[in-house]
Amino acid sequence: MDLTLTSFAPAMPEMFLLGMLSLVLVVDLFLTERTRHITYILSLLSLAGTFWLVLDGYPRLPELAFHGSYINDPMAALLKLFMLLAVMVVLVYSKEYIKQRDMYKGEFYLLVLFATLGMLVLASAHTLLTVYMGLELLSLSMYAMVALRRDNVDASEAAMKYFVLGAMASAMLLYGMSLVYGATGTLDFALMGEAAAKLPTNDVTMLFGIIFMLVGVAFKLGAVPFHMWVPDVYHGAPTAVTLFISSAPKLAAFAMLMRIFVDGLGELHQQWQGILIVMALLSFGLGNLVAIAQTNLKRMLAYSGISHIGFLLLGVLSGTSEGYAASLYYAITYVVMSLGGFGMILLLSRAGFEADKLDDLKGLNDRSPWFALMMMMLMFSMAGVPPFLGFWAKLAVIQAAVGVGLVWLAIAAVVFSVVGAFYYLRIIKLMYFDKPESDAPIESSADLRILLSANSLAVVGLGLFPSSLLAICSASIG
Amino acid sequence: MLLAILLTLVVGPPLVAWLARFGRLNAAWGAGAVTLAAAYALWPALQGAMAGETQLQRIAWLSAQGLDLHFRLDGLGLLFVLLILGIGLLVILYARYYLTSRDSMGRFYAYLLLFMGAMLGVVLSENLIQLLIFWELTSLASFLLISYWQGRSDARNGARMALAITGAGGLALLGGFLLLGEMAGSYELSVVLASGESIRAHPLYTPMLVLILLGVFTKSAQFPFHFWLPNAMAAPTPVSAYLHSATMVKAGVFLLARLFPALSGTPEWSWLVGGAGLVTLLVGAVVALFQHDLKGLLAYSTISHLGLITLLFGIGTPLAAVAGVFHIINHATFKASLFMAAGIIDHECGSRDMRYINGLWKYMPHTAILAIIASAAMAGVPLLNGFLSKEMFFAEAVGAATQLRLGWLLPAAVTLAGIFAVAYSLRFIHDVFWNGEPIGLDRTPHEPPRWMKVPVELLVILCLAVGIFPSYVVEPLLRVAASGVLQGPMPSFSLALWHGLSPAMWMSVIALVGGISLYIARAPLFEIYARLAERPGMYRRAHHLLERLYLWAGAVTRLSTPERLPHMALWVLLFAMTLALTGALQAGAELQGGRTLLPMDLLGVVTTLVLALAAIATVLLYRQRLVALTLLGAVGLVVSLIFVRFSAPDLALTQLSVEVVSIVLLLLALYFLPQQESRATSPWVVRDLLIALLAGIGMALLTFAVLSREGQSISGFFLEQALPGGGGANVVNVILVDFRGFDTLGEITVLALAALGIYGMLDGIKLQGPEADSDGRRWDPDLYPPVVATLSRLLLPLALLVSMFILMRGHQLPGGGFIAGLITAVALVMQYLANGVAWTQARLPRNHHWLITLGLSLATATGLGSLLFAHPFLTSTFQHLHWPLVGDFELASAMLFDLGVYLVVVGATLLILVNIGLMHRESHTPLTDAEEEV
Repeated sequence: MDLTLTSFAPAMPEMFLLGMLSLVLVVDLFLTERTRHITYILSLLSLAGTFWLVLDGYPRLPELAFHGSYINDPMAALLKLFMLLAVMVVLVYSKEYIKQRDMYKGEFYLLVLFATLGMLVLASAHTLLTVYMGLELLSLSMYAMVALRRDNVDASEAAMKYFVLGAMASAMLLYGMSLVYGATGTLDFALMGEAAAKLPTNDVTMLFGIIFMLVGVAFKLGAVPFHMWVPDVYHGAPTAVTLFISSAPKLAAFAMLMRIFVDGLGELHQQWQGILIVMALLSFGLGNLVAIAQTNLKRMLAYSGISHIGFLLLGVLSGTSEGYAASLYYAITYVVMSLGGFGMILLLSRAGFEADKLDDLKGLNDRSPWFALMMMMLMFSMAGVPPFLGFWAKLAVIQAAVGVGLVWLAIAAVVFSVVGAFYYLRIIKLMYFDKPESDAPIESSADLRILLSANSLAVVGLGLFPSSLLAICSASIG
Repeated sequence: MLLAILLTLVVGPPLVAWLARFGRLNAAWGAGAVTLAAAYALWPALQGAMAGETQLQRIAWLSAQGLDLHFRLDGLGLLFVLLILGIGLLVILYARYYLTSRDSMGRFYAYLLLFMGAMLGVVLSENLIQLLIFWELTSLASFLLISYWQGRSDARNGARMALAITGAGGLALLGGFLLLGEMAGSYELSVVLASGESIRAHPLYTPMLVLILLGVFTKSAQFPFHFWLPNAMAAPTPVSAYLHSATMVKAGVFLLARLFPALSGTPEWSWLVGGAGLVTLLVGAVVALFQHDLKGLLAYSTISHLGLITLLFGIGTPLAAVAGVFHIINHATFKASLFMAAGIIDHECGSRDMRYINGLWKYMPHTAILAIIASAAMAGVPLLNGFLSKEMFFAEAVGAATQLRLGWLLPAAVTLAGIFAVAYSLRFIHDVFWNGEPIGLDRTPHEPPRWMKVPVELLVILCLAVGIFPSYVVEPLLRVAASGVLQGPMPSFSLALWHGLSPAMWMSVIALVGGISLYIARAPLFEIYARLAERPGMYRRAHHLLERLYLWAGAVTRLSTPERLPHMALWVLLFAMTLALTGALQAGAELQGGRTLLPMDLLGVVTTLVLALAAIATVLLYRQRLVALTLLGAVGLVVSLIFVRFSAPDLALTQLSVEVVSIVLLLLALYFLPQQESRATSPWVVRDLLIALLAGIGMALLTFAVLSREGQSISGFFLEQALPGGGGANVVNVILVDFRGFDTLGEITVLALAALGIYGMLDGIKLQGPEADSDGRRWDPDLYPPVVATLSRLLLPLALLVSMFILMRGHQLPGGGFIAGLITAVALVMQYLANGVAWTQARLPRNHHWLITLGLSLATATGLGSLLFAHPFLTSTFQHLHWPLVGDFELASAMLFDLGVYLVVVGATLLILVNIGLMHRESHTPLTDAEEEV
């Protein structure tokens, strides 16, 4: 066994993050409320340092470590960069919010860092075991984050639901993994495809293994019919936590889907495609329909997120490298938009007041024309109106589906995105045409304002010049 | 071409908004200048297009996606560019006088330029996707323009409706374009237009056509999507003149014309396009007559004329297409001038209601003449442009009628629409300029400023010029534009006033005479219409539909979103089971694999039965917690028996000791719970039972299927390597402490952390325990019966000895640190239970942290030790020693490691159990104190 340091090099960012995390853990013990900003700054520094390490070690070709358990390839690196960026944005957005809600403690930052570590591991997983390890690190941290406000009934209920259902899904995932291991005799994605291809197509063990793993992955993604935790958790969790859950972990879930089903079981594409088609159809169908009936902005965004997952699945299920690249692109764009959407709730919230109802957006244009404009761009982008970012993502995945002859599915996707446009437009109507219910000024720190504006403008900027990001995504899938 | 679009779309709006800060009129001048500059930038290309060339310009943008900025200018584009820029310029001039000082000029002109740029983009795009982007931009810009007067609720609603309808149509269009692109193999128009044959033969032609037509019809306000246009009349009149006569609504028919060579010529095309056009033509014309709002009349007349153009394209002959293009030009000129005239009237009278504004001839004769000429053109009076295209239209309708059964209906319907068109045009003239005196106006109308009339004059002159000298004024442009539409040979046609006594001529005569008679006899019709109009209109119905959509979405939400956790879990289970079942049925694999099954023996059957019975009994008796717990213990015991049966003594031992510890733990926790579960029965118990049964059976079958198949086992490797490699005959133990030593190290670390976590959480918690059982009997005050206490004290050394024995022999025979640790822990916990915490704590250390620390350190140190000998972490070694009396004895470094495991297990178990036990004492203390005092 080669135990020299260079053989660990592909996992350098993760090891750095783990080290920094331990440092934050210890340092935070000695801090008081007044000096808590040290934790905040240290956390940001850890993430920035990890970001730099990922960038520095950006691989041209896949590099393996830990006996093939760990892979650092362009897709992993790209996903990690965006995960880290997203988490940094989350930390900046949420600072004021958690201060006002008595959550400004080391736990929040530590759990975020732990979850981030889990995501990075997930992005680089190259065996089923590594997948599971990363997933649980991420999930357990998230359960705890939802429950951070222990005195809040909604949050506790959401955490309970999330934990129990999440545990069920994890169990199914694990069961599926064990079945797949039993059928193929390997946990390693590099060998799995070959072994699986030798099996007869109706091999019971393999079939059930795939189904149970899909259930687990679908749960983590929040795809219908395994979506029911999403609205409750998004709604119940403190918005800062919702912001986190809705952003970077979606990239991690996408990574998990890609690693298991493309890296590992890509050869069995025919067997899992059908289930993904059903899930995609149900997701963008149900998500968009139900979002219309919501009066709570967080719930609405939750359902919109479900529908976005449906679109994301379109690319993956097409089974072509264009499709994978399109889905990767979709995942990244979704995270950018979702950060903006929930960031807006944080912006409008203040001590003792959650701006999470649709009515709270009424007359935003009168209160702050600038942020109404930002929100309008975000909503247009989510609806998939050209030339905003969301349009290109939708276009890419729909093209991927059409490219493999799934025309009916593509048409259904377009029809439902029309339905979806409806509730995004409603928000614009509320912001521009309705009278504000309160004329309280928007009080928020300058860093939140600036970053949120940059985030929203990115939706336009990346929308006008989509080629660069798209090209990077295509190159990453290779 | 890029330059022109950039000028209007990107440079123009901010520039104009900025200019407006230095004086409101500057915005108008700026907008005019930008428009002229765009025209100048396009000038060379326009000349080329006029000469019949098709010019393409490609700028790299999104090469990876096969999407570059790709522009195209041919005859059709030329026509639309002229309309957009020409009428745009007139509108800019007009709006400068129309807008009052209260309106923000900068905003208006910025939006207007934005729209102009987007519209130019639509007509100049070579790439379909790019066209779509500009298409949606026109929707957005029109939204901004319609809602320009944001303070008015009708403006906001109208804008919203327009955006919702056209925006949604745009998305449908995207779907159509994607399909079209797939069929043609490219999104480039040149390719698409050239592959009409293969597109029409494609199996997906119809869905593609429907999607594209949805986009077209919503944009061009075709029935049944027409209702947004009248509501959009809340926009400032210059906007209506621009968007709703010449440009935006024409974008739909532009697309029909653009894709005419690729899509037309099938029955589907004729029926869909022609049908929608005909219905729209009729509905628009009829409804227009009964509008009291001046702009409402014009809106419905616009709808009707758009229907006319659509119908022409639907007829599908080349000549009909030429007529369609011609009518696009004519309609744009006369309708824009009419809107402007209506705006002037509105401006000067403060009202647009034709019931109140009458007899304006006296007040504004000049405007009246202009409006009269324009509406005469709208009616199709000879010597005006409207007459020419209408004649062509009538001729085409007659021509198409010969090929249809009941074909005469088409000319009849068209003539009927012509009658109504004459009638509403007449109403516009007579009702406004004569018909008595104005009623209740708050000001005296007078002529508008000179320059406000100039745009109208120019357009009216154009109407006349085209109508009188068609072959000089319009024919060259028409030929170029029509060839752009057809992309092929031109049909022969002549633009002349007199074609002889053709059927079309008679239809025109009938329309004129009929229209005038209809207008004269209008009073009873108005009454009928007023009664009909009380029923909810399309707009109201759309609102109603919206409400229904909300209700429906709400219903779907309730159906699809379980709110309680058990329901959610149920859903997850059910869906997973459905998936699995479908998968299994589809695969159709054999349930039983090829492996020969072991024979059934009595022991196996009995243990399995006991296991099943105990499990069922646990479920049945779960309300009595203590009983259920005991049964659960029985289940555990049977499981350990099964392990013994399958030759896994280590597992059996572990299971046994874990069982004891966990039952003790549960007992301790049980104390704080009510003795009995509440009696309330869930109404869903049968359903839950069924699901549980299904899940259980499914799981059992799956397990059977897996177990009855041959599998590769990794046990062979360990069996071979255990003794030579690890120096132990007990393979399980060797795996734990040697082969997988690193895992075990991790596990005991987790165990230690868990214990510390529980300690941290329990520390300082006070729970109130019950003082009596469910029947009200108080607990026995004699907490620690002497018999039990004495016996347990006697047992302790014995138990410790057994655990030591098991620890020592672990490497060779069943046993090991984990089991031994559990046994020790159980023995010690027994002391706490039997003798009380106080008694035991006086004799045993209160704090177990040091045990855990010691164990972890020992295990880690053993691992690190191997580094000293230049071996990797946790490499083990072993040595055989010959002890006198005892005999041959093996010493393995792994045994030290095992000792570490032992210590951690003891420490962690004690830490957890003792601390829960301490909570009991806390909750009991007041009671026992009271007892003692008594």
